[in-house]
Amino acid sequence: MTMDEHVVFIVDDDARIREALSELLASHSIRTEAFGSAGEYISADKPDTPACLILDVELPDINGLDLQRQIAKGDHPPIVFITGHGDIPSSVRAIKHGAVDFLTKPFSDADLMAAIQAALAEDREKRSARADLGVLKRRYLELTPREREVLPLVVSGLLNKQAAAELGISEVTLEIHRRNVMQKMAAASLADLVRIAERLEIPITHSRRAEGNRA
Amino acid sequence: MMSVWSRRPHFLHLGLFIAAYVLGCGFAQALAIVPGTGISIWPPSGLFMATLILASRHSWPWWVLGGCLAELFSNALWFHNPLSVALLIYTGNVLEAVAGAWLVTWACRRPFRLETLQEVLTLVVLGAGIAPVASATVGSATLAWFGMQTFAAAWPLFWLGDATGVLIVAPLALAVLQNCGGRTQLSAARWMEACVLGLIFLGVAALSLSGHLPSAYIVMPPLLWAAVRFEFKGAAVALTLLALITVVFTISGTSQFVGDPEFQKQMQFALQLFLAISAFSVLTVAAVSRQHQQALLTLRDSERELSQLVDMVPSHVWRLRPDGEPIFFNKRMTDFIGLDVADLDKPGMSRLEAVIETVHPDDAAGFGDALRRSLAIGESFALRYRLRRADGVYRWMSSRAEPLRDQDGRIVQWFGLCHDIDNQVHAEEALRRSEQQLQQMIDAVPVRIWSATPTGGPVYFNKRYQDHFRSVIANFEAIEEPRIEELLQELIHPEDAPEVQRTLQNCFETGGGSSMRFRWREKDGVYRWAECRVEPWRDQAGAIAQWYGVSLDIDEEVRAQEALRERERELSQIVNMVPVHIRRLTPDGEPTFFNKRLLDFFGLSDVAQLDKHGMSRLAAAIKTLVHPEDATRLLETVRHSLATGEPYAMKYRMLRADGVYRWVDGRGEPLRDQSGAIVHWYAISIDIDDQMRLYRDLEEREAKIRRLVDSDIIGIVIWDLDGRVIDANDAFLRMVQYGREDVEAGLRWFDMTPPEWQDVHAREEAEELKATGKMQAREKEYFRKDGSRVPVLIGAACFEGQSRQGVAYILDLTERKRAEAAQMRAEEALRQAADELAKATQATSLAELSASIAHEVNQPLAAIVANSHACHRWLSAEPPNLERAKTTAERIIRDANSAADVVSRIRAVFKQSTQTGSCTALNSAMAEALDLTAEEAARRRVRIDTGIEDDLPLVALDRVQVQQVLINLMRNGMDAMDSVQGDRVLLVRARRMGDVVQTEISDRGAGIEFPDKIFEPFFTTKGTGMGMGLAICRSIVESHGGRLWAEKNEPQGATFVFTLPVEVKAVP
Repeated sequence: MTMDEHVVFIVDDDARIREALSELLASHSIRTEAFGSAGEYISADKPDTPACLILDVELPDINGLDLQRQIAKGDHPPIVFITGHGDIPSSVRAIKHGAVDFLTKPFSDADLMAAIQAALAEDREKRSARADLGVLKRRYLELTPREREVLPLVVSGLLNKQAAAELGISEVTLEIHRRNVMQKMAAASLADLVRIAERLEIPITHSRRAEGNRA
Repeated sequence: MMSVWSRRPHFLHLGLFIAAYVLGCGFAQALAIVPGTGISIWPPSGLFMATLILASRHSWPWWVLGGCLAELFSNALWFHNPLSVALLIYTGNVLEAVAGAWLVTWACRRPFRLETLQEVLTLVVLGAGIAPVASATVGSATLAWFGMQTFAAAWPLFWLGDATGVLIVAPLALAVLQNCGGRTQLSAARWMEACVLGLIFLGVAALSLSGHLPSAYIVMPPLLWAAVRFEFKGAAVALTLLALITVVFTISGTSQFVGDPEFQKQMQFALQLFLAISAFSVLTVAAVSRQHQQALLTLRDSERELSQLVDMVPSHVWRLRPDGEPIFFNKRMTDFIGLDVADLDKPGMSRLEAVIETVHPDDAAGFGDALRRSLAIGESFALRYRLRRADGVYRWMSSRAEPLRDQDGRIVQWFGLCHDIDNQVHAEEALRRSEQQLQQMIDAVPVRIWSATPTGGPVYFNKRYQDHFRSVIANFEAIEEPRIEELLQELIHPEDAPEVQRTLQNCFETGGGSSMRFRWREKDGVYRWAECRVEPWRDQAGAIAQWYGVSLDIDEEVRAQEALRERERELSQIVNMVPVHIRRLTPDGEPTFFNKRLLDFFGLSDVAQLDKHGMSRLAAAIKTLVHPEDATRLLETVRHSLATGEPYAMKYRMLRADGVYRWVDGRGEPLRDQSGAIVHWYAISIDIDDQMRLYRDLEEREAKIRRLVDSDIIGIVIWDLDGRVIDANDAFLRMVQYGREDVEAGLRWFDMTPPEWQDVHAREEAEELKATGKMQAREKEYFRKDGSRVPVLIGAACFEGQSRQGVAYILDLTERKRAEAAQMRAEEALRQAADELAKATQATSLAELSASIAHEVNQPLAAIVANSHACHRWLSAEPPNLERAKTTAERIIRDANSAADVVSRIRAVFKQSTQTGSCTALNSAMAEALDLTAEEAARRRVRIDTGIEDDLPLVALDRVQVQQVLINLMRNGMDAMDSVQGDRVLLVRARRMGDVVQTEISDRGAGIEFPDKIFEPFFTTKGTGMGMGLAICRSIVESHGGRLWAEKNEPQGATFVFTLPVEVKAVP
């Protein structure tokens, strides 16, 4: 683990806490960036590395919990809450919204580090998944419009004949499209393609049976 | 030959000639009564001679040839002579005719008319006398040669026959030949006379020749009568008739010349003689008669001419008898007066009196007297008078009369002449009148005129001049033969006199004209300016005939000129004095005049100094005197104006004499004449160097100001009191998010001012601006374009002298406000913490307090723990990072102290200090508390009304604690009104109530439900808050020996009241 690989963001209105945590994490060779308020954190430029956010609940501008809710929509590092006087409803709410841990001041070195490590690991995982999906998305974008029409029919399990009829093209043509799709999406098998489609959230619009019934 | 041919006569004439010749031969033969003796009369000789006399000499051969033919023919018919004899005789006849014709024409010149005695005599002598000698000689010789007759016997008859033929026939032939073309008209009386004469003649001739009368010569009287009365024609005809009668009687034998054969010859001779004498006499008488007639005719002609002359001369001619009776008026006179001499005969008056009556009544008496006097004494008469013309008009006549005297000196007649001089008289009158007018004019014209002889001698002066002299020179009348120089010396101003004298003398000597100006004395002794022009008048030969001089009074003119000169001098002074450079240019741009100021400016003495070889003066002037950067532009501008005639104006730099370029404002305008043509250009330039410098400074300053305005650091607005934004810089526009187009569209202050500031704006700011011209900087808010508010700091000032407009400086306070808000919030937080701690200290339940205390303490504790771990890690690292460990350790100490502070503060609160401060005026403490909350109140739109008595007694109190109570209560009141619609008014009152000072804080909030419970710790009606405030407040008030309670307000709200005991000890 090197300093460059990850970063820990600290958001606390108390300069003493920020100082102390930075120092502590520095002693653990963890790079830190400290902010005095939620606003400062939001507007700051953040490196694209695995990261973790240590967030004080009581902040001068917006409450830590509110901040968590605000950034939940986008990609954000996993959050470790710290608080001066922890009450149960707050901690429950934080954990429910995906916080890694909820530490009450004063907290121990070990608790903090464990939470940080957990958070960083989670972030790494999330990142790699996001990266895979990116590859798949790029591949999907390479498909021709016709191939993009073919793909959902194939993964829905329609027979070539059914799919061709659906699109009003010959079965041979459809097979060519299907082969191209498999090739472009780097799918080893139909099952692989189905899994990829699932990740790309391609809706399964047809069912073979329904189609059959209708026929 | 050709000439002979070409001069041939008409063949008709020639034929007639031959026929007549033959007839003549026959006639001769008939008269040849003596056989063998030839003929008694030879008519052809007369015919031949007359023909040759009248014919031109060149045609003579033709006549000779014709005669030859006729004679030979006659010879063959009657004479029967041998051809040679006939030819020789004819030769003689030709000689006779030629000689006769030649001699006659030689002697009498042509044309030969046989009208004068000389001509008759010439014909008789030369033609009839000498010429027949030739024919008689040749004929007689021929006859003798051929033995027909003896020479001596034949010659006389021959000669006489020929002579008689010439005498009888030649006149007749001449008369016939000359008159064959014309007609002589004879009157009836003449015809009658001719007939009677003819009868008498024939009768007498017949009687005498037939021998009934004793002598043949009795026929002479009628013959001569014919010659006298009918001249040559009558003579010729009578002679011819006589010859014919003679021939008839002779042939018939009844003639007295027919007798015995012995006497035949004598008879023949007598006959011939008779005829010759008759012819000679008759011709002579005819010639004389003719001559006489001719003389009479000539006289008549000359008389007629004279009479015509008399009638034709353009004068009246008259004749009087010695006694004065008119006997002749010429036609012109008759026509003029309309009367002939005979018409003057009137009963009772003489002809002369009748004549006098036709004279103009004014002149009649003088005329009559003068004429009678002349008649009486015989002196010639000359007079002018007016004579009445036939149409009644009187015309001027000039009449003269001279007497005609006979040899004895007696007056026979008076001859008078008078001619019409009416036009002349009128012309003279006109002349006289015009002369008179001229004289009058000369006297009337307001100039003085003199004339002198060529040497300047005696002088004529016109009346005006004379009057002048008379009025000035005392004894003018006494001066004889005044000379112009001398007289002028009397008059002329002594200063001018010598010059005038010299000029005049010079004129008279050289003969040249001259003009002088001088002053002369007028009658009142004043000298006036006059101008005298002297010119000689020369006659046709070029010699000076007269000197003329005219003197004009030019005093006013001279004075006007002087005035003009004076004005010109003034003008010129003005031109040189005005602080403007003036120059004049020709229409093509050459400078011709610089005023003195301009010359001084350039250091020149004259415009001509500018002249440079090879370039125009304008170009030279601009090149040398104008700044090089401006020169081209100026030259182009000026040339453009010169070409188009448009005025020009431009600013440029001119070189002053000291080498400094100075800015001038130059302008040029053309001066045009009536036709619009440019006469001059006038150009001025004004030194505007100082202004230019000023402008430059101004520009620089303006640039600085512009920089300030455009710097965008501060909003700047030009406004007016009507609420318009006249101009605004970008900084301001950005601040309020308006665009420049909004300003141009009429952005208004008022619209941008939020409602709560409108009133303030109208009331305070405008007042302040009006009163002081300035508005001290203050904070307020404006609406942005999108409706949001922007807090600003604004200061304004009116423009000097323009109270309705001014400039405003506006600073955007958003950032500051935000910072302030943040700071305030932080302070608030701290204060709250403090308050809460304070409240907590009041609490009885430590458990409740612990939570809040924990937070305060846990912060430093958390930092301490973290730092401790870090420190530990730095120390346990390999190698240990001592430096950072040390830093962390220092932080631990710091944070720990901080925690300790918190604890000690809490302790302080808990101590429940009852130590009261010194006696304090509640007013000031309350004022401070109000000040502290004023800002918050404004922010929360709460109005704080106060009702604090001025003279509150002193109270012993802990100022801070009591202020805390006040602030807490006020803030509670504001909190209570947060959700209230309508007016948010907080009323703070303080007054003395006996030995306590009672303070009331009333709000218009929702009110309180449990007026007692609210003072218990941790009882709260608010969402946030620990319920400590009122508890602490009560404990503070009670610790001061006072009371705190709450009351309900009607209709709404609550009132908190606390009392503090008056410091009795302080009162002596």
